[in-house]
Amino acid sequence: MERRLWQHLDRPLLLAVLALTGVGLATIYSVTWNLATGAPGAEFWRQVYAVPVGLVALVALVLVDYRILAQRSPLLYVAMILALVAVMAFGVEAKGSRRWVNLGVGSLQPSEFARLALALILAMAYGDARRGARSMGELLVGALVLAPAFILIFLQPDLGTASMLLPVYFGIAYMAGLRMRWVVGAVVVAALLSPVVWTYGLQDYQKGRVMTFLDPYQDPKGAGYQQIQARVTVGSGGLLGKGFRQGTQGAYRFLPEGHNDFVFAVLAEEQGFVGVIVVLGLYLFVIWRSLEAARLARDRVGAFLVVGLVSWFLCQVVYNITMQAGLVPVKGLTLPLMSYGGSSLVATLAGFGLILNVRMRRFTN
Amino acid sequence: MVRPDASGAFSDRQNTESRLVGLRAISLVLFVFLAVAFWVLQVLQYSEHRERAKRNHTRTLSLLAPRGVLFDRHGEVLVQNRRSFRIAIVREPATDVPASIRRLAAITHADEAHMLAIVQRRKSDPLFRPIAVIENATDAQVAAVVAQQLELPEVVVEQVPTRTYPDGGLAAHLFGYVGEVQPAQLLRSEFARLSQGAIVGQAGVEQVYNTLLMGTDGNRFVNVDSRGREVEELQRRDPVDGQRVQLTIDADMQRALEEAFRADGYNGAAAFIDPASGEVLALTSLPAYDPNDFAAGISSAVWQALNADPLRPLGNRLIQGLYMPGSTFKIVMAIAALEEGIITPDSVIGCRGSGVFYGRSFKCWNTAGHGAMTLRHALEQSCNVFFYTLGERMNIDTINKWAAKLGLVGKTGIDLPQENASFMPSTAWAARTRSGGRWYPGETISVAIGQGAVSVSPLAMAMMMVTVGNGGTLQTPHLVKAVDRGKGWEPVPAPGPRSSFVMAPDHLAAVREGLWMAVNTPMGTATRRGKIEGKDVSGKTGTAQVISNDNKAAAKAAALAAGRNPAVFDDHGWFVFFAPRDTPEVAGVVFTEHSEHGYLSAPIAKHVMETYFAKKEGRPLPVYQSPAAPAQNVVGPVSAGVPARGGGR
Repeated sequence: MERRLWQHLDRPLLLAVLALTGVGLATIYSVTWNLATGAPGAEFWRQVYAVPVGLVALVALVLVDYRILAQRSPLLYVAMILALVAVMAFGVEAKGSRRWVNLGVGSLQPSEFARLALALILAMAYGDARRGARSMGELLVGALVLAPAFILIFLQPDLGTASMLLPVYFGIAYMAGLRMRWVVGAVVVAALLSPVVWTYGLQDYQKGRVMTFLDPYQDPKGAGYQQIQARVTVGSGGLLGKGFRQGTQGAYRFLPEGHNDFVFAVLAEEQGFVGVIVVLGLYLFVIWRSLEAARLARDRVGAFLVVGLVSWFLCQVVYNITMQAGLVPVKGLTLPLMSYGGSSLVATLAGFGLILNVRMRRFTN
Repeated sequence: MVRPDASGAFSDRQNTESRLVGLRAISLVLFVFLAVAFWVLQVLQYSEHRERAKRNHTRTLSLLAPRGVLFDRHGEVLVQNRRSFRIAIVREPATDVPASIRRLAAITHADEAHMLAIVQRRKSDPLFRPIAVIENATDAQVAAVVAQQLELPEVVVEQVPTRTYPDGGLAAHLFGYVGEVQPAQLLRSEFARLSQGAIVGQAGVEQVYNTLLMGTDGNRFVNVDSRGREVEELQRRDPVDGQRVQLTIDADMQRALEEAFRADGYNGAAAFIDPASGEVLALTSLPAYDPNDFAAGISSAVWQALNADPLRPLGNRLIQGLYMPGSTFKIVMAIAALEEGIITPDSVIGCRGSGVFYGRSFKCWNTAGHGAMTLRHALEQSCNVFFYTLGERMNIDTINKWAAKLGLVGKTGIDLPQENASFMPSTAWAARTRSGGRWYPGETISVAIGQGAVSVSPLAMAMMMVTVGNGGTLQTPHLVKAVDRGKGWEPVPAPGPRSSFVMAPDHLAAVREGLWMAVNTPMGTATRRGKIEGKDVSGKTGTAQVISNDNKAAAKAAALAAGRNPAVFDDHGWFVFFAPRDTPEVAGVVFTEHSEHGYLSAPIAKHVMETYFAKKEGRPLPVYQSPAAPAQNVVGPVSAGVPARGGGR
């Protein structure tokens, strides 16, 4: 590796990413703090151990030129599909779904890595081949690539993670020239069809879930519970927050999953609106800085790859944080970089390795 | 190797850049939206969410204050507290309270409907406050709940102080009982700081001295987690125990009294009082209840049984029962006649077995006649004709005046709840209540032997003996000797006497001697059953008719025919007394229901007084020998042939 390359490493982006990882660790430390033992919970330490693994993955994906990775992406994609099939076959079942494979030293969630392979192969498909995404046929090629991964993850079942492959596809298609009037048209059609779907397409329990979201107080101890408690958790933080380890909603489990899906609510509770603004600022900075990498990329493959990853990151971050405010239905989606979960952290850091990679190599041939 | 792009950079960079601007714009809009959303939640709606979060995790749990311990006059503990468990339900974390109760009922075998009713009654309580549904839980129930704690986090076990009374319902009507404060009581200022479910005295000393005994509950402010489990204690305010109260009661006399009643198989009432002060040494009313049944919430079955019992064990006969005094009233007549100058101690009145007063014949119980006798012998042998004659010489208002001076009118003023006033007729009363407005002098003749429109409580009779015993001071009976407000015992000043007069010494001596003879001579109506060697017990027997003698035989026959106990028509027996004769230390009354004869009350009084003297003199306490059967060598006829008007002896 040339020394010149390292000069182009985007240090501010890397620092912001590490800062968010650190904030996440601190929040997990706080919310899992056990008064009886005077120590943070096991989740904190497991997350700590995931950081070096994630950093190794990041460095590895910085070192290898992204164009090589893009060229090998069909291979990577097939490997990923096989991994997902392996999950179906040998996966560990937990909470009614089969998402993990046990590797002996720890468990791995292959679906978290699916988007990396997908972003690489789609970036290559639309970027390297100079193919656009202007016609239906062109769009369909990407959709066919997406489909096997989406279906396999959907069947685990993990609708949340599967859905989060869509931004990767649409982000890259958008860059490849997806016509905006199709997007507008699709939205209009969906809006017009929604009453029909409501009447004929949804089961009663699904309708109930929607109703609960619209009015969580219909079932404050059941389905509406998390939504209500998330709002209480966030709102009770106030401007300045209750202070580190002073939170009650997450620490006493009134809000479940305070270290995981709802880590941001706990941050909002303990660090207040000020902490929220700082972290939102960091996320926005990460997104803008990453998009800058796309702008500077020396080729379409690099730019598309970055946009595919950033689109996913943007969607999942925004959905998760909106969920903390109780404004979208609760879905089991982590907050990238901050939530508990080794696979998610490693895959996210690896993704940023690719983004750093693209920017670093903007002048190379 | 990397394949270089044909153009070096990509050709449609312009288009790419505009699309990237679009992405930035979208992300900026989304993040501004998020910032606004959090601003609304965290700043604009802060206080609302802060309150909700606080309600989530903080609980104020009461620490119940133990009620004050009750001591007897010598420092023996009478009523104290033990720790008991109760099982409560907290509705807030419960998703389905009836289901939780059903589950709780299944594992504890407790009455589900009863528990539901309790929760229903307390439905306006704050949701976080535990509602006790099983009081005085057994070890098995506690173990069952603890074992199911994970499945039933809304059910909690609390340790609470619970009142314990002496075994067997000793002095039940003295102590009274405790129970949940009633909704109506909560409106009274005395209970203003209490909340529903608080335990307060509902009868007896527990009720009258509730403010002293109750103490102040403490609080614990705790953080709980989402399952309602306590995580940490934030603040604690310890409860303040109720004040210790020393009663005037002597525990040994109290035990002796009830032991004797039970050995003889009588219901009734009794009081033993220090005539110098009005301090009550022992008192009882039987049948009674067991205050322990109330201590941890009385079961509805026990409560209904107590209320339905025809013997009315919840009523305190000593202060609520009103009865004809019978021959014991002759003491009032004697003192009235002496003090009014109607007779002297040596005046002689003859008895030929009956006498004609106001044109009507009144019989003595001894139809053979007592012959000529002075007041002493008239008291000794309870001669009716002697006292009819005194009744003829005094009007009802004079008798009323002296009855009042001796405590037989109105309430005694004892510090127990719901006392009934004793009653003596008067011309004013007749004018006020009768259609004709008249009091007939002939009625005064009946009153002279304690019959007719006279009704007194047993305690009033005891106060009469207190007054005779101390020579004219009508003390106020009272139960509390000292209170410990946390700084050692402070004596509680005795309530002043209700009234007093000074009896002429020769009058007093004559009455006391007649009463002494009634107990100590072979001719005395108490048939020496109350006699204690060397203690000069002085007293008087009497019977209170349940039904007039004219109708008694018919009523008993009818009851027998209907399969009911005819004994309910038998007369009640009075024995009033003091001892020693010249310097009385103890005075009082023993009233036995349906014993037929006053002298059958005397052994009970004797046993308690013997206990008193033995204790005072450091001798072993006596053991009660119940008279196996009514003595055969009774002096004089008993019931057969006793004429109407003039039953009493």
